[in-house]
Amino acid sequence: MRTVLKVVDNSGAKKVMCIQAVKGKKGARLGDTIVASVKEAYPNGKVKKGKVVHGVVVRAAMQRGRCDGSEVKFDDNAVVLVDKQGQPIGTRVFGPVPHELRKKKHVKILSLAKHIA
Amino acid sequence: MRLEKCWFCSSTIYPGHGIQFVRNDAKIFRFCRSKCHKNFKMKRNPRKVKWTKAYRRLHGKDMTQDSTFEFERKRNRPERYDRNLAENTLKAIKKIDKVRVTREAKHIERRMKGKKGKELQEAKKELEQNISLVKAPAVLKEDLSLTLPIKVKVSQTQAESHLMEE
Repeated sequence: MRTVLKVVDNSGAKKVMCIQAVKGKKGARLGDTIVASVKEAYPNGKVKKGKVVHGVVVRAAMQRGRCDGSEVKFDDNAVVLVDKQGQPIGTRVFGPVPHELRKKKHVKILSLAKHIA
Repeated sequence: MRLEKCWFCSSTIYPGHGIQFVRNDAKIFRFCRSKCHKNFKMKRNPRKVKWTKAYRRLHGKDMTQDSTFEFERKRNRPERYDRNLAENTLKAIKKIDKVRVTREAKHIERRMKGKKGKELQEAKKELEQNISLVKAPAVLKEDLSLTLPIKVKVSQTQAESHLMEE
């Protein structure tokens, strides 16, 4: 909650603030879906400032355990905006994303991403 | 399953161990344990930290060029499975490992070789330079001022005190 995350797609938003984790009350971690409010946006983008949007956390500085027991962490906290059905709003994804998204059924984001870590 | 190498100390990372850090330009840094991860976070250079493989290689402590290292290498082309080949490879692994260990031991031996002579040379030099500090025992006996004050024998006094107690 209240975490400001970078938006790493071309949906038009620059920064969003987490206002709710979709599942659970402890906040969101890598791969989780959040509800967020758009704090900064590019002019003429799909998403406007002040809108409430859904997003998938694709990078988190907090380490997350992998299925084999090792851990993974990233440089920053970043989201990709999605609609309620889980389809990404933008058409591109920047930077690396974890392969755990496949487990969360966000295959579309994975296919858009250039680097999979 | 792939066995990765630690970015900091170059040790093998077995599945389920360690942590990996993904930088924003998608470079992956893998660490075998928290020690290496912490050292990375402190921005230490592995070439300057003495216990890492990088340091030892750089400073000629370990064997660097050897044909046995050629086997353990990342190959871009996947090998087609062949039962005989796999069997032979498994056999060869043990043998190559043995060869490598003996060669490494030999390398270290060769590296240590000059040490004893060097030490002897240094000792000789020191003796030559500081000979004035050493006096012959005969001189010491003649001139009592050169010797240290006579030590009291402690063991005897102790024995006496024991007797007193009894």
